[in-house]
Amino acid sequence: MGYDSAMKKLIAIVEDEPALRENYAAALARHGYSIKTYGNRATAMQAFHIHLPDLAIIDISLEDEAEGGFDLCRDLRALSAELPIIFLTARDSELDAVSGLRLGADDFLTKDVSLPHLAARVAALFRRIDALRRPGNAAEIVRRGALIIDGDRLQTTWNGTPVTLSLTEFWIVHALARNPGHVKNRQQLMDAANVVLDDNTITSHIKRMRRKFQQIDPAFDAIQTVYGMGYRWVEEPQTGSR
Amino acid sequence: MSIRLQLLVVALTTLVLPWAGCQYARELETALRDSQEKSLLATAGTIANALSAQPQRVFRDSGDTQGFTASRGDLYVYPLRTQPLLDGYRDDWGVAADPAALPTSSGYGARVQAGSTERYLYLYIEVDDSHFDAEPADVHPERDRFDRVDLTLQQSGALQESYFFATVAPGLIAAQSVVTGDQRQHRVIEEPRIQAYWLQTSAGYRVEARIPLSFVGPHLWIEAIDGRGARRAGVTAAGLPEGGRLFFATAGLDDLLSTFIRDGTRVTVIDANALKLGAAGNLSAATAGETEEEAQSWYRRFMSVDTSSFPLQSSAPDRLGGNSVTAALAGQSHAEWVRSAADQELRLTAAAPITIDGRTRGAVFLEQAADQLLGLRDRAVTRLFNLTLLATAAAVIVMFCFATWISLRLGRLRNAADSAVGSDGTIRLDMPESASADEIGALSRGFERLLARLNEHTLYLRTLGGKLSHELRTPLTIVRSSLDNLESEGLRDDQRRYVTRAREGTQRLQSILSALGAAARVEESIKQAERVNFDLRELVSSAIAAYRDGFPQARIDLELPPDPCFIRGAPDLLVQLLDKLIENAVDFCPAGGLITVRLERAMGNYVLQVQNDGPPIPQALHGRLFESLFEQRQGRDDKPHFGLGLYIVRLVAEFHDGTAVAANRSDGGGAIFTITLPLI
Repeated sequence: MGYDSAMKKLIAIVEDEPALRENYAAALARHGYSIKTYGNRATAMQAFHIHLPDLAIIDISLEDEAEGGFDLCRDLRALSAELPIIFLTARDSELDAVSGLRLGADDFLTKDVSLPHLAARVAALFRRIDALRRPGNAAEIVRRGALIIDGDRLQTTWNGTPVTLSLTEFWIVHALARNPGHVKNRQQLMDAANVVLDDNTITSHIKRMRRKFQQIDPAFDAIQTVYGMGYRWVEEPQTGSR
Repeated sequence: MSIRLQLLVVALTTLVLPWAGCQYARELETALRDSQEKSLLATAGTIANALSAQPQRVFRDSGDTQGFTASRGDLYVYPLRTQPLLDGYRDDWGVAADPAALPTSSGYGARVQAGSTERYLYLYIEVDDSHFDAEPADVHPERDRFDRVDLTLQQSGALQESYFFATVAPGLIAAQSVVTGDQRQHRVIEEPRIQAYWLQTSAGYRVEARIPLSFVGPHLWIEAIDGRGARRAGVTAAGLPEGGRLFFATAGLDDLLSTFIRDGTRVTVIDANALKLGAAGNLSAATAGETEEEAQSWYRRFMSVDTSSFPLQSSAPDRLGGNSVTAALAGQSHAEWVRSAADQELRLTAAAPITIDGRTRGAVFLEQAADQLLGLRDRAVTRLFNLTLLATAAAVIVMFCFATWISLRLGRLRNAADSAVGSDGTIRLDMPESASADEIGALSRGFERLLARLNEHTLYLRTLGGKLSHELRTPLTIVRSSLDNLESEGLRDDQRRYVTRAREGTQRLQSILSALGAAARVEESIKQAERVNFDLRELVSSAIAAYRDGFPQARIDLELPPDPCFIRGAPDLLVQLLDKLIENAVDFCPAGGLITVRLERAMGNYVLQVQNDGPPIPQALHGRLFESLFEQRQGRDDKPHFGLGLYIVRLVAEFHDGTAVAANRSDGGGAIFTITLPLI
């Protein structure tokens, strides 16, 4: 784990299933985080008002509240704009993912994710935050024309404007842009993003990413669909160099 | 039996209406007949009372009436309307009756008939005598033998005057009488006031005589005597002092009676012998019903009153008979329906006694034809019959239309019920007729409720997979995360082996669960898909190129149209559709088999066909292939097939307003999946 901090990072896990909660807590504690667990929204919010964690992992349905996680995310975002929030939920519908990310969550993971993957995600998020706080050392930068991908900060810019991608999206762009012109099929993209998704979710991720780029540059057409195979990054010939 | 037929049969029961009408008409007729009887009886009684107040206008003789005895030579004198010619023929008498036979003991056939006008008594005598014996020129009636007719008239008091008719030659003659001269010698003189006509016929001779009424008393004797032999017929004053009595009709009684009655009724007054004293009126009143004769006949057959039981009314010209007459002469008023002996016509007769000084001296007899009544009844019944038949016909037609309507509605409902659950399991919730308030509407609403429940259940079953996968996901995650944690604890190799197995198990569970939940996710993502214009041909060709790389073991042939095929839709979804079709084809295509993909334009549609060599689709699976989570045919691999692939194909095709159909190749060597997509 590539982070150094005098203090252990505090991760809050809000999950109403005790066994799962304890498993997540044990796994993350093993990676050197200190963990606080909460069973419902009220106790979590109460604790957050007193002390904000460094990262929050939230389930969407909490005890009686089917969408309690969304409310919690909104409240938490109100408390802190920077606090990384990960949705970890059994709900895997497109709509839930979109809602979660729109509420300001940094990532949306389904419970199919394995514990090592979860730990990696968490680490990656911390790394991004740390990198954002530190002056850049230009460690792993991918430049593809107007696109600049900062592998440390997990940040993407297009024509100099930051593109707010979720972690999954970031890894997808990263995987595509690293080898322009190469077709990546959906499985490869899922592997790159360390997620288990079905084809349609990948499709909608791609769609959403295109939209995000197009908000910055309406002429954006770098992510191409190769029917029957997958997607590829197309570099405009007049711009960019390796 | 269809409802229409059933209701038609039910409608036919309205035929009871005409029947009831007939019954009613019959009762009406009975009632009418009853009242007619009563009224006629009342009329008869009234006339009888009126007549008994003035007996002198009814009876010629004031005293007791003698009994009528034909053997005595009693004669009824028919009233003659016109003055007959004296010609030996009685055709002009206007009397329907045959002459009455004179009593004879020697077999000499002679018949006589009497008639009278106001001034004369007419006699018609018919004698059977094949040989004419003429009267000698110098006649001696006592001695001479010749054909002659003796006539003795009783004039006022006991005075009798005898005449005889005989002639030398047929023709007009006068009566002769024998006078006794001063020398007690008999002499024959003619009485010119008594005229007669002698007519010779092949059977004998006839004498038609005219006698002034002033010569005629209450009695007369007539005897016909043969000129040869001793044959004679009739009575003589010497042989029978009482003599034949003449029964006259009463003069002026006809006029008197005609003031009592109206048209269509005949009144006859009879004496105690039932002989007619006078009559007035006629039965054949002009009735309006005559023209309906044709129309009447057909239903009279159904409903005519049986008249054969009515007694026959004989109609002798001189006298009346029948129960009414008998009863009236016995002092009882009586009314009766009879049939006329002549023409079987139904008549009502009523008779009332004329009682004078406590004795019944005669009767008033009234007759009325039933024609009037029948005409009345027929008109009523015809109208009733026609109306009820019309009503029945209308009812039948209305019933038939109604039944047709009902059965149409039921048919619609049945068709809707038949097609309510489609072969692909989709349920149409709207039923026809559900807005109607009647039982059919209720049935339809019942169907709707049934279908709604069925639909709920189907939806539940459809979403069951998704829900199940969702519910199972958490415990599965617990197991997996526990395994993750367990692995991190540092395990011995033998322990790690079991963990690995457990992990493999969870992975399989995982893939099954995501397959279960996939249907719901696919439906959702299809709902959110965006439509763009793109070239289907290019999509198919690039996708197929990818499949050739992806499935190197399969031979894939591609047939494309020469022109680009622009379509508005979701290319991603269509690629998924192709994915599933090709995956399916590859699964079932034997090694070395050929997969043919063909895109063509046909009748406003793009038709995309994927054929593969391999086993045909079993008949039982047709129509169910495209269902969600339908367990598919066994592929070549051992992977469980939840059949989601073809379900996605159907969803995508439907998203593009198209259809997906599976069929077997005609040679039986493979399957064809045909996707039809509308051009726009």
